[in-house]
Amino acid sequence: MNSVNDRSRDIGPFLPGPDDDMIICRCEEITKGEIRQAVHDGMWTLTEIRRYLRTGMGLCQGQTCGRLVKGIVARELGISPAELEPATSRVPMRPIEMEVFANEVPEEKEVGSYED
Amino acid sequence: MKRYDLIIVGAGPSGLSAGIEAAKKGLRTVVFDENEKPGGQLFKQIHKFFGSKEHRAKVRGYVIGQQLLEEADEAGVEVVLNATVIGLYQDKEVVVKRGGQIEHYKGNAVIIATGAAENMVTFPGWTLPGVIGAGAAQTMMNLHGVLPGKRVLMLGSGNVGLVVSFQLEQCGCEVVALVDAAPRVGGYGVHAAKVARTGVPFYLSHTIVEAEGTDCVTGVTIAEVDNAFHFIPGTEKHFDVDTICLAVGLSPMSQLLKMAGCKMVDDPKKGGQVPVCDPHGRTSLPGVYVAGDVAGIEEASSAMIEGRMAGIAAAEFLGYIGKDEMESELASLDKALDGLRQGMFAPQNRGKQITETEEGIEVSQNLLLHGYVADDELERYPGVTHKAGVHPVIECTQNIPCNPCQDACKKGCISIGSKITSLPIVVEGSECINCGMCVAGCSGQAIFLVDEDCGDGTATVTLPYEFLPPPEVGTRGKGLGRDGKAVCDAEVVSVKSMKAFDKTNLLTIRVPKEYAMKARFFKAV
Repeated sequence: MNSVNDRSRDIGPFLPGPDDDMIICRCEEITKGEIRQAVHDGMWTLTEIRRYLRTGMGLCQGQTCGRLVKGIVARELGISPAELEPATSRVPMRPIEMEVFANEVPEEKEVGSYED
Repeated sequence: MKRYDLIIVGAGPSGLSAGIEAAKKGLRTVVFDENEKPGGQLFKQIHKFFGSKEHRAKVRGYVIGQQLLEEADEAGVEVVLNATVIGLYQDKEVVVKRGGQIEHYKGNAVIIATGAAENMVTFPGWTLPGVIGAGAAQTMMNLHGVLPGKRVLMLGSGNVGLVVSFQLEQCGCEVVALVDAAPRVGGYGVHAAKVARTGVPFYLSHTIVEAEGTDCVTGVTIAEVDNAFHFIPGTEKHFDVDTICLAVGLSPMSQLLKMAGCKMVDDPKKGGQVPVCDPHGRTSLPGVYVAGDVAGIEEASSAMIEGRMAGIAAAEFLGYIGKDEMESELASLDKALDGLRQGMFAPQNRGKQITETEEGIEVSQNLLLHGYVADDELERYPGVTHKAGVHPVIECTQNIPCNPCQDACKKGCISIGSKITSLPIVVEGSECINCGMCVAGCSGQAIFLVDEDCGDGTATVTLPYEFLPPPEVGTRGKGLGRDGKAVCDAEVVSVKSMKAFDKTNLLTIRVPKEYAMKARFFKAV
């Protein structure tokens, strides 16, 4: 069984670290301590961490912190980052205003006036 | 919904190459790119590329970008800029944000060539303004003409860290230190050497303790780390800097592929999460291909070949070419790519400590620890020979896939042979005519023309010089050693610049003859 999903595994207690107040996700201002604590709260996957703390849900969409968060969670669980299921990828890939996101070119109209 | 034969995401080296190849075979091809300019990272690359002639070696990156754009235009590739692909759905539906609206396209085939994003490392103060990625520094300098800072510390000794350090110096920034937590320089030795000889100190097995400043970076402290990457107390060093550049690797931007349902794998050797694909870019989804860094971090020359492969594979998938044609074209590209993936820095050697060259010569440890070949290590390499009169001294000491030097010399003084990674040798009995083509033609700036004894107690050294403005003839200054420290007095006796040198000026300095093999850079005083 994938050790990430074996939640009966004992990962030990949360031990405060000297760099716990260091910001990891800049967009949502989430610290290393919060991420580590979240693992001890039972958030063992990146999807859970993301929903619990909103890491990687800000303007850069995890471009900067995705890898960092993954490393912190993996270390806390005592596994290699490669073992951790990556967070789900979803549309839209880039931050986008709702106004634009909702502004679909109607299906019947030929898109791309730039060409014809 | 508009349909194309082929939709390519990303107009970098691999995406454009894929588009050119596919359009030439008759596919109606579009390339979307979120940036306002095409070319990906190519237009930031002002240095000459390594490789062989067929890989466009010794051509500067931005020129390769221009060439690709022209070829794409000729082939009829539609390149759409400011077009952000925000989703890849089933049946190869591509959703694009353009202007203020969302457009949907269908591709009969899709090639994802989205490249990679820079990694970050954290340390106290890493969120201060002034801590930037090396790629950001390059964008500021080479695309926008903005100086990133005045005094810079570079973290990362891979090729990106080394190349950007040199470019920062070319822009007039002072690089106060090049730092890497690894115990050895990660990038090409020749890139390290050209940075070291300008006087940049290397701190291997060191990393950043903290960045200082309240509103922006005003300083940085580094310290040595042990084998477990723990700081060693008492080894702290402080630098006043306004900029900290991070060149700590790249991660593939593969999210579109995951979203589309491609089988993915987390492969640290490839830089992170990448799609599972065959050697020609076919993913687990029929008709969806990948090329370039998104499939595993490499460099631009191999990305261009991978792009062409994916373009050819897509053309066959859609029936524009037959299987035989595809296979013969792919076979020659396989060979080219294989050629690039040879030598000490080949993907299969990543993380390995190599102690000997292919020729059985001991690798320079000083180069790996301090960024330059030590005086007592130099003589063992086959490019370093001595004779009366002007002759080339080739300080190329690692097996990398690169051979422009042997074509540069029309007199046949330099030979690499059929194996592209072999160290260059100076051919015995050959006659150097002091033309300088080898000095300008070496992408690693590792060739010097030396006259060890001019008969009057002096020697001359001709070196590649890519700083502006070049000093005038008669300028007096110091000859700098490979470590960037002043070793002797020097006077500029000639400055040559020719179209064939492609913006590399050749500086000839006169030094006392005992420094003929030591002085490798010039600094006016």
